Amino acid sequence: MAIEDMAFLIPVLPALAFVITFFLGKKLPNGGAIIPIIAIFTSFIISLMITLNLLQNPGQIISQSYSWFAILNVGILIDPLAAVMLSMVSFVSLLIHIYAVGYMSHDKAQPRYFAETALFTTAMLGVALSDNILQFFICWELVGLCSYLLIGFWFEKPSAASAAKKAFLTTRVGDVMFLAGIILLFADIFRIFNGSIPEGIYVLRFDEIFTHIPEIAALNTQIFGFEVSHLTIITLLFFGGAVGKSGQFPLHVWLPDAMEGPTTVSALIHAATMVTAGVYLVARTFPMFIAAPHSLIVVTYFGAFTALFAATMGLVMNDIKRVLAFSTISQLGYMVLGLGMGAVIGITAVGDSMFHLINHAFFKALLFLCAGSVIHAVGTQDIRQMGGVRKVMPITFVTMLIASLALAGFGIPGTSIGVSGFFSKDPIIEAAYLFGESTENWLPYLFSIVAALLTSIYIFRLIFMTFTGKPRTNYQGHESPFVMTIPLMILGVLALVFGALTKTGFGRFLEETFTNNFVNLDIHALSEIGKYHLVSHGAGNEPLMILWMPVIVAIAGLLISYLIYGMRVIDMSSIVSRKNPVYKLLYNRYYQNAIFTQFLAVKVVYEGLALAGRAIDRGFDWMVYLIGHIFTEASRGLRILQTGVVQNYATSVVTGVSLLIILVKLILEVF
Amino acid sequence: MAIPILSLIVLIPILFAVLTLFTKTKEQARAIALFASVLVLALSMFMYFNFDSTTPQMQFQEFAQWVPSLGINYQLGIDGISMPLVLLNAIVIPFLILFSWNDDKKQPNRFYALILATQGAVIGVFVALDFFLFYVFWELTLVPLFFMVSIWGGPGKHKASIKFFIYTHVGSLVMLLGIFGLYFAAWKQTGTPNMGIEHLLSQFQFIASGLSRDLIFMALLFGFLVKIPAFPFHSWLPDAYVEAPTAGSVLFVLLKIGGYGLFRVMLPILPFTPSMDLMINIMAALGAVSILYGAFLALAQNDLKRMVAYSSVSHMGYVTLGAAGLVSLSVSGAMFQQFSHGLIMSIMFMACGIINNATGTMIINNLGGLARKMPKLAVIMMLAFMASLGLPGLTGFIAEFLVLTFTYINQPTYVVIAIMAIIITAAYHLWAMQRAMFGVYNEKFGALKDISASQTFSMAVIAILILYFGLNPSPVLDMMITNSEKLVSLMAVAGV
Repeated sequence: MAIEDMAFLIPVLPALAFVITFFLGKKLPNGGAIIPIIAIFTSFIISLMITLNLLQNPGQIISQSYSWFAILNVGILIDPLAAVMLSMVSFVSLLIHIYAVGYMSHDKAQPRYFAETALFTTAMLGVALSDNILQFFICWELVGLCSYLLIGFWFEKPSAASAAKKAFLTTRVGDVMFLAGIILLFADIFRIFNGSIPEGIYVLRFDEIFTHIPEIAALNTQIFGFEVSHLTIITLLFFGGAVGKSGQFPLHVWLPDAMEGPTTVSALIHAATMVTAGVYLVARTFPMFIAAPHSLIVVTYFGAFTALFAATMGLVMNDIKRVLAFSTISQLGYMVLGLGMGAVIGITAVGDSMFHLINHAFFKALLFLCAGSVIHAVGTQDIRQMGGVRKVMPITFVTMLIASLALAGFGIPGTSIGVSGFFSKDPIIEAAYLFGESTENWLPYLFSIVAALLTSIYIFRLIFMTFTGKPRTNYQGHESPFVMTIPLMILGVLALVFGALTKTGFGRFLEETFTNNFVNLDIHALSEIGKYHLVSHGAGNEPLMILWMPVIVAIAGLLISYLIYGMRVIDMSSIVSRKNPVYKLLYNRYYQNAIFTQFLAVKVVYEGLALAGRAIDRGFDWMVYLIGHIFTEASRGLRILQTGVVQNYATSVVTGVSLLIILVKLILEVF
Repeated sequence: MAIPILSLIVLIPILFAVLTLFTKTKEQARAIALFASVLVLALSMFMYFNFDSTTPQMQFQEFAQWVPSLGINYQLGIDGISMPLVLLNAIVIPFLILFSWNDDKKQPNRFYALILATQGAVIGVFVALDFFLFYVFWELTLVPLFFMVSIWGGPGKHKASIKFFIYTHVGSLVMLLGIFGLYFAAWKQTGTPNMGIEHLLSQFQFIASGLSRDLIFMALLFGFLVKIPAFPFHSWLPDAYVEAPTAGSVLFVLLKIGGYGLFRVMLPILPFTPSMDLMINIMAALGAVSILYGAFLALAQNDLKRMVAYSSVSHMGYVTLGAAGLVSLSVSGAMFQQFSHGLIMSIMFMACGIINNATGTMIINNLGGLARKMPKLAVIMMLAFMASLGLPGLTGFIAEFLVLTFTYINQPTYVVIAIMAIIITAAYHLWAMQRAMFGVYNEKFGALKDISASQTFSMAVIAILILYFGLNPSPVLDMMITNSEKLVSLMAVAGV
């Protein structure tokens, strides 16, 4: 059996696991965890085999399409981009499922947990292998549903129920933009085909969309007096979806609250996989972005700003998971920035960004799982109440340290020595430097460097506060069981070496996504449609200072953290106080909650629009009664007819109908 | 056809309704009702499997002369517009009866009889091919629903039932005016009276006076818009839906005759209306405003059932909007929305009924944490809520996607208005779910029991259908597309 015949099993197996676990999980040990584990393991093996096959035979892209209904289709597309994503998602999901056997062992609702995570994995794999934008959107929404269900897993906690709703609604804002983008795209292609789409052509398939890029780019609409290409509108609407899903400013507000779910959920959904779906969407439709004037510049600014903005808040959080949540937002900002760099380095940007996505998946999942391990043992999420955990949890400490080094990006430029984050984050920062050079616009570079410094500070603050020093409260700690520590160790090894091992081949492999025997796009020609001036990306040709800069700030961050939280030579209590306006602003997360929830959602939408609507509706009702009242009053004299006898009513109905007929006849005679 | 199958599916419920009236006990009444509705379901399924969805022609036609001097005939038939709606009624009613299996209603014989009578009348509207017959069935639907609300309704039942009756009756009378106008004009034109729907619609274009055509069109449109209901003619709906007993609310939801009228009557004559552009704009605007307005109103409600009622206004806006889209797939999307909405709202109202029976309240803020005590209800309700807010993979998404995407081609502005409602729609569903089902359990309800086996079964079957048609809409969508293509090609013939 050829490998491409098994591709459909990748999402189908976890789907079956969902059904079985949902209905039979209660009767099986550990809530039926073994079923999704086996299913996802098989999916992973198939994904890995396809990836390896693609590495050896770049031409063997898997593309299968079937008619769904009307002119729409469902299908599988596994090119290098999808293959990498599938392998990562199934692998991380597998490890986290195994870890969850230990982590969730005390929870009564285990079957529901494993059913929902299996469904999530199905949907996420579906996102990765969709061959058309509609199926992509459908799976994207299902991923959102699972996120909603799993954030609200402990639904009896009001905060969890509220966070779940907030996550769904905030991402929904982005989803609506995404949907609007699809609708506009569809309408444009419909127009290009003059309203009649030939039989057998699936217009929403990615390869079909890509062939129409020049025509869509040529369509223009006037917005506020500016000629805007339809392609720019469509791609920015798509990017709106990415902003929601991938927690970019200003729709990032849901992600820190999403930490109300179990930590395994945070690791799987809100660190490694779902939140990267937005980045994946932009990567998937990258040929559209690079042909759309201004789009990539917008992407760049959102990414760079988010990377910095989230990092500042990560500095002051005391909840171990919230620090990691802000870190995730910040790193997603880097990935988005990396994609925006397509404006100067073209297709290489996809490789850079995806490389960071994969590395981040490993080290951030690891960070969350370590945090879960600590929370599991210590029984609190507040790092102020921890301290000295290193002694009781050595494995967790070592793996979390590796993950932190990977996040901060330690390594030696010009060599193959470095942790995974180093090899993926630095190219993005270097590209931002190139962007500055070529456009005279240094803000993205500045943001990304400062964010790198802050990243190093907040993550080592976390490490020092949690693991070193003396216990600050009386907790009963113990190392987690093997079922939990083995996934940590596997991820630890990957966080350490994956970057170094794949740094050369990864980018080249991903470039084949858009230039192969299935879709063959001239990215350079497309970038000319988008009016981007590409520069050749000579890696390592930048000044030495620039190459070293990210590492220098990472070391600086480590030192600052060590001085403050390790040596305690600087007393933070004077800075960390309610009186310090900067601290207050950061700690209250720039008052986003007040702005978005209190003002926008409650005051404007609910109290303003909805309650006003209710008043208007009473007005309509009142008018109906008024009309009725007028008739009742007018017929006061006819009240004797209201006998309550059905026959009389029937008589009047007949009379009325007859009168109507006469009326109509008269009208028709006149005209 | 050897067996007059359409007559049977109309007459069986009505005859058995009469039979049910004479039963003495609840056990007899519900058994007879279930038997009749299962029989209708079986016949409908038989008809469905022998239905050719590749042709827009009327199938299973029956014809008998009735009043030759006035051109009134007993004429029945079914096509891709009516088939899915007949199926919808045939499928849901048996499960509605099963759902109400253990209800302790006063006068159970009348209760079950009225369910059957409504079914017969509604299916009658869908299969009637003669305007006279159509109108008779149309008015006949009012009677059982009126009694349903006024006998078993909530505290405001009298006001609500009268309001519903008078309001929709006014709409019907205006529609009747339109029917008579069309009938007499065509009579004048051809010299022979004929009440056949297809005949009259095909004669519409030959009416000499443009003003007459406009008036006839508007009169008919008004009748249908009230019944759908579209903003601003919706104010009978919340009261009627809320005060009705659970079975009554579900019957209201299955009453898809207003939207049906748009496809059967309005679209074929639309291209021949002098002020066609205005009419299309009115329909599209009312559809889009219904969607947004209904969503905001639903968000403002404290009462769960009232929220569901307003969400119904919002969802039915897609029917009007899609019909005005005038692309075959937008029209099919609107038809599919009728089918989908019937299924989804049935579960929504069943869930409301269960919660009301268990806790005695529908005020969302007084509920809380019900999912802990009623996990089965929570799962089914979650699925229905998700379908209602348009989650892909369920029927609501297919309909909304088709309507929005393909209406955009002709009516971009109205689609933008409608799209804004998507977030509000998600908001009221999730907010209600959070307050009613999640959070801390309200201990004053004591030990609640989860839903009974017959209730679980009835709701689960409908839920599975929502999922099935959400993943594979073709079994009903294909025939809708066939007929929509014919409707839209009429526009092309008229040079639109």
